[in-house]
Amino acid sequence: MKIVYADNNATTQTAPEVYEVMVPFLKENYFNPSSMYDSARITADAIAGSRGIIAGHLGAKDPKQILFTSGATESNNTAIQGVARANPNRRHMITTAVEHPAVLEICKDLQRNHYDVTFLSVDQDGNLDLREYVRAIRPDTLLVTIMHANNETGVIFPIEELARIAKETDPDIIFHTDATQSVGKIPIDLEGTYRHVDLLSFSGHKFHAPKGIGALFMRPGTPCRPLLIGGHQEAGRRAGTENVPFIVGLAKAMDLAMENMSDEQVRIRKLRDSLEMALEEKISYMQINGKRASRLPNTSNLSCHYIEGEAMLYQLSAHGICASSGSACTSGSLEPTHVLRAMNVPFTAIHGSIRFSFSRYNSEQDVDHIIDVFPQIVLNLRALSPYWDSKNNSPHSDPDRMVSAKS
Amino acid sequence: MVWQYSDKTVQLFMDAVHGKPSSHLGEIENPDGLGEHGSISCGDALRFTFRVERHPTDPTKDVITSARYLTFGCTSAIAASEALCILIEQGGYTPIQALGIKNTDIVEFLEGLPEQKIHCSVMGAEALEAAVFNWAQKRGVDLKLLGIDIMEHEQADGRVVCKCFSLTEPYLKRKIKELNLRTIPEITNAVKAGGACMACQHVPGGLQDLLNEIWGTENKMIHLPVLTGIGQSATLPHGAAVGDPSASPYLFSKSIETTIDQEIRPQLQRDGGDLEIIDIKDTVVYCRFSGACANCAGANQTLKMFVERTLKEQVDERIRVISVQ
Repeated sequence: MKIVYADNNATTQTAPEVYEVMVPFLKENYFNPSSMYDSARITADAIAGSRGIIAGHLGAKDPKQILFTSGATESNNTAIQGVARANPNRRHMITTAVEHPAVLEICKDLQRNHYDVTFLSVDQDGNLDLREYVRAIRPDTLLVTIMHANNETGVIFPIEELARIAKETDPDIIFHTDATQSVGKIPIDLEGTYRHVDLLSFSGHKFHAPKGIGALFMRPGTPCRPLLIGGHQEAGRRAGTENVPFIVGLAKAMDLAMENMSDEQVRIRKLRDSLEMALEEKISYMQINGKRASRLPNTSNLSCHYIEGEAMLYQLSAHGICASSGSACTSGSLEPTHVLRAMNVPFTAIHGSIRFSFSRYNSEQDVDHIIDVFPQIVLNLRALSPYWDSKNNSPHSDPDRMVSAKS
Repeated sequence: MVWQYSDKTVQLFMDAVHGKPSSHLGEIENPDGLGEHGSISCGDALRFTFRVERHPTDPTKDVITSARYLTFGCTSAIAASEALCILIEQGGYTPIQALGIKNTDIVEFLEGLPEQKIHCSVMGAEALEAAVFNWAQKRGVDLKLLGIDIMEHEQADGRVVCKCFSLTEPYLKRKIKELNLRTIPEITNAVKAGGACMACQHVPGGLQDLLNEIWGTENKMIHLPVLTGIGQSATLPHGAAVGDPSASPYLFSKSIETTIDQEIRPQLQRDGGDLEIIDIKDTVVYCRFSGACANCAGANQTLKMFVERTLKEQVDERIRVISVQ
């Protein structure tokens, strides 16, 4: 069976070109870049070159501003915990209620350690309220950490604006953004409109590099203690022998992402939009979460009322379609996604969410396949649902029909 | 996370969603017994109905001939509903005998369930109980006379312990004993309590206290000391920073607002624009342009050269204006 991979916000397939450039560094070019002999120059140069490529694509002035890490989770931990430990005098942080757990849980942990954290809310479209943001800034605000694009809904936050407002208010406020979902998908210029951003995290495996490699952009002078110590690598800001093959792969993946940026913005957006249009036509009581907000071109987050997401995923999987759901049953915690809850998605729909996310390897046929099978899957499950009246193909008119045994 | 379902679970689920004739999907009209459990907000819900062959003289000898369900829920919730119906129909049980089917029987029939999915099987057993009580009412069977304690089985009224899933103290105590639950994760896996906001786990009268009460305190959790206050004390009151504004932030803000209303907005409005104050913190004024100004290329220039300068001259020279667009 052909696999339709539509879960690219979870991870992406490694590009063959990326794999190719990595191979020599997994075979003959194994030298420790810190060694003194001539051969070590090959690996040292490869790292320097990769750093330059990545800095260039992000519009960072100096390649040294890029630190290689094992991925966005490490980058986020380095940034947030490092800033906290370097600035013990300020104890207030601002983040949002819809961050990825790799930011949210760090903030909650700091809360347990006597930090005051403001979690900004979002509206039904997934947008922040700038008024609430401005009001949250305090004299003791240390760090603002706000994601660039949401992994579940694709909603993009105006971090250029948010960073500018923070910096104009108080230059000592440090601004961090988790840009894991946006790097490689939308243009970022760290010396241009993003010049107020101090720290920016991302992972390679969201844009066709392998898993286990990422980076942290750190503007010079940002007070941030290293998380990993015990080596001089990355100018002492991240100790540990460099992961040369993966660093080389990350740079290649970045090159390819930049080449394909217009494909992302035009062709993939069209694929996503045509999927949403077709499904909206075929499925009643379906909503597109974040539809009215500015969104990543590749992400579609749908909620089908009165059915449950995990049961949908299971059937999609039987048709070879890979997607994600924010339902409680897929989280392992019995709790539906915090993102859709923050957006006030109605409780009839919150358990029935499905995310399709595309990449440049997706085709029109992939989308057609989803359009062919997904509406039937929804119908199948609605036929089973006590809230759905299959005869009239609508929800039961009596909303109290199912009286909870517990209420 | 990939759930490891048994072949049996997958087969029952797939048969149900594809409406195979062997499946028990549906609802019996005018059923002899109807029971419900769960709600849409907690993520799964089951509506269970059965039909009996009525005994001409003794209703306690009624035999269940068919059972049907409608389920909102995940793969295992649907498979567990299917299992419940099969168990009942195959057993040829009277409703009272059917009460003997426990969630463990459902799990066994499904050839096991992942630990975090055990609550799916509990839901089936609960709905069955509700349906049997419904049948007893309709048929005038007094379950008490048969030694079945209704209060024991009903979702008893009482203090709500888990607010997220509206679970009461009597209900939780019964479940803890019945299912031999020894830890909070076991409770959460079985009946969901404490699985959402988690607030009820360690509060006074919460899940840990219920466990201690029932099982004694030999397996008592180690409570970490609660430290308070430090985070709060670092918080400065709004506007209490340097200079005059802290003396009377209210009057200071008022004079900014007056100046904007009288000197600045009329000029902007003449050009079809407007200005809104978002916030004032100490000497920093956050403004949003609207109308023609919002899309004007020179907006930033106007803000600095006109708005900020006017406020500096008229109110306080330390004032800074930040645009929020």
